[in-house]
Amino acid sequence: MLSEYLPIAVLATLAVLFGVASLGVSALLRPNRPTRAKLAPYECGIEPARLPAGERFPVKFYVVAMLFIIFDIETIFLFPWAVGFRQLGLFGLAEMAVFIALVFVAYVYVWKSGGLDWREPAPRRAAAAPPTALEPEAREVVRAG
Amino acid sequence: MAPDQIVFWVFAPVSVGSAVAMLFQRNAIHAALFLIVNFFTLAVFYLVLGAPFLFAVQIIVYAGAIMVLFLFVIMLLGVDREESLVERLRGQRPLAIVLGLGLAAEIFVTARASLGLARGPANFDETVNVGGNAQALSHVLFRDYFLPFEVTSILLIVAAIAAMVLAQRRERTTVEAAGEAEV
Amino acid sequence: MLEAAPEMDWLDWILLVARVVVVFFAVLISVMLLIWMERKVAADMQTRMGPMRAGPRGVLITLADGIKLFFKEGITPTLADRPVYLLAPVIAMIPAFLAFAVIPFGTGVTLFGRHVPFQIADLNVGILWVLAMGSLMVYGIVLAGWSSGSNYPLLGSIRSTAQMISYEVGMGLALVAVLMYSGSLQMSQIVASQDRVWNAIPQFPAFAIYLIAGLAETNRPPFDLPEAETELVAGYFTEYSGIKFAMFYLGEYVNLVVVSSIAVTLFLGGWRGPHPSFVAWLWPLLWFIAKVVAVVYLYIWVRLTLPRIRYDRLMSFGWKFLIPIGLLWVLATGAVVVLPDVYGKGALLTGALIVVGAILVASLLWPLIAPRRQSAGETPQ
Repeated sequence: MLSEYLPIAVLATLAVLFGVASLGVSALLRPNRPTRAKLAPYECGIEPARLPAGERFPVKFYVVAMLFIIFDIETIFLFPWAVGFRQLGLFGLAEMAVFIALVFVAYVYVWKSGGLDWREPAPRRAAAAPPTALEPEAREVVRAG
Repeated sequence: MAPDQIVFWVFAPVSVGSAVAMLFQRNAIHAALFLIVNFFTLAVFYLVLGAPFLFAVQIIVYAGAIMVLFLFVIMLLGVDREESLVERLRGQRPLAIVLGLGLAAEIFVTARASLGLARGPANFDETVNVGGNAQALSHVLFRDYFLPFEVTSILLIVAAIAAMVLAQRRERTTVEAAGEAEV
Repeated sequence: MLEAAPEMDWLDWILLVARVVVVFFAVLISVMLLIWMERKVAADMQTRMGPMRAGPRGVLITLADGIKLFFKEGITPTLADRPVYLLAPVIAMIPAFLAFAVIPFGTGVTLFGRHVPFQIADLNVGILWVLAMGSLMVYGIVLAGWSSGSNYPLLGSIRSTAQMISYEVGMGLALVAVLMYSGSLQMSQIVASQDRVWNAIPQFPAFAIYLIAGLAETNRPPFDLPEAETELVAGYFTEYSGIKFAMFYLGEYVNLVVVSSIAVTLFLGGWRGPHPSFVAWLWPLLWFIAKVVAVVYLYIWVRLTLPRIRYDRLMSFGWKFLIPIGLLWVLATGAVVVLPDVYGKGALLTGALIVVGAILVASLLWPLIAPRRQSAGETPQ
């Protein structure tokens, strides 16, 4: 059974060798004339500066990663079920329907509380920040990058 | 040596090495990278033990999903620049020592108990993995352990609610701070 | 697990290594031709000539580009995290190649009395292997963005990662549906199960979900938000140049080859197709290549037709449309397509009732969700 994975190990070795070799050989052959301007981070017309530490991204990205784990685990449970569900029969189907329904409750909750909306909820912003000339999307672009 | 032993002895030092290296990294992202290496070696051990399904799941869930969340959080909080080395949680060290000793004792007892089991040839493909690892798993999981399986969905609901509550609290403070700044 | 390890003599080893090396370089050459094809098709659709100089009708243009990039100066920005910065392009490339390992691209050929399968490894967890490698694809991007020490790559990589993980769920659900229909995780058996009808027909929703998720996974237009050049310069590889840039580019196109090959294997019958009996090993290979080229052409066509969509729409399409449809389709596959085989026609009614019930529940829940959507769309006065 392990021998099945032998060709994959060979392929992985080959891919790593290819990557490292092309980096290494290229490093030997190419010119190297760094200047300060070349090595500076890319910026368009202004002095390059790093984003301020902390609160650099909307918390939405974190929520998406969290929700991804939840649904990834759900999908992972579906895999062994999908392999054996013919033998499990109606019991297996009902079992999985209940499971999916329960996770769907979580999904509906997240949707309702705005976790799937990429724009910020309007009422809260209206209360907290004075209206600005920016459209919500434009504001989002500013914050989300 | 049997092939599974060769694989084990190749990956075991990598596993321990990456775990130790993770502890001694000052940069949070580098530590996370070593943790990913560690998850990989763990996946290989599952494979050696005749659990290819767990091997794939270990990569998909731990290396693919949970570590992405870790990297996101590290970047999100901006702790990736060796600035925040101040310990925020008090009593962390004594608690860590107590829990670490407990874990070591547990490993010792378990290892002693299972030493006899590990001797002799064990062919998982003919004993537990009849009809394929995933099939066997599906029978055990969805027939014998169907109640724990259903309860898992409750766990997922709780996780979703927790994520939303935490995110909304964070968001509110952020928006308020932004509002004050604009005023 | 002391199984009787299959005895391998030196000929087996040579054949194994040769097989892997040939496949590796075949993938590299296919990427070369694919980039040329994309440029030519784009040119044709825009009534231009496209690349014409290098080789006959410009076919060697990618090779020329590659050689040029190989000799270009490599810049490591001062604020970059050097080890991770160098590691990221290699990491971006490897999972794409590894995912190709489980794809059967033909029946095989007999060489020196040994059967050489046209597949690197027929794992019994084939589909999961594909999913696992797909989930590792994000690392190259996220590490490139972080290690560059620059703002645009960081923003691009975070965006890209969020996009990829969002569509990975939809892709996983599509794979589950195929798996249910074929009854095996093994690629060779999935191809074998399509001897009468391609999965794309009974599993059309899953096929559609897979193709769309594939677009997002490969970061291709109209889902190329990570590289939205009007906003993010070049996204996560803004700070990369020379050979390191070439490796990202290579990884991206290998990924496209892989996504198309998986679509062919799971939904379009793999290497199956009618063929004459002489040189029997060649025709399945040609069928496979022809089908992959067709899927790639579809992706290129989509790229040239549709404009880039806005980020919030991209995310809500993935989360609010693909995932519920995928979940419903998995249950519907379980209930409608397969249960009649087990229980007879009566079960079809039961299955239909379950689906109707699910739709009813969904429509009851809809009013809870719908008002929220409208209010979120309003702009504050």
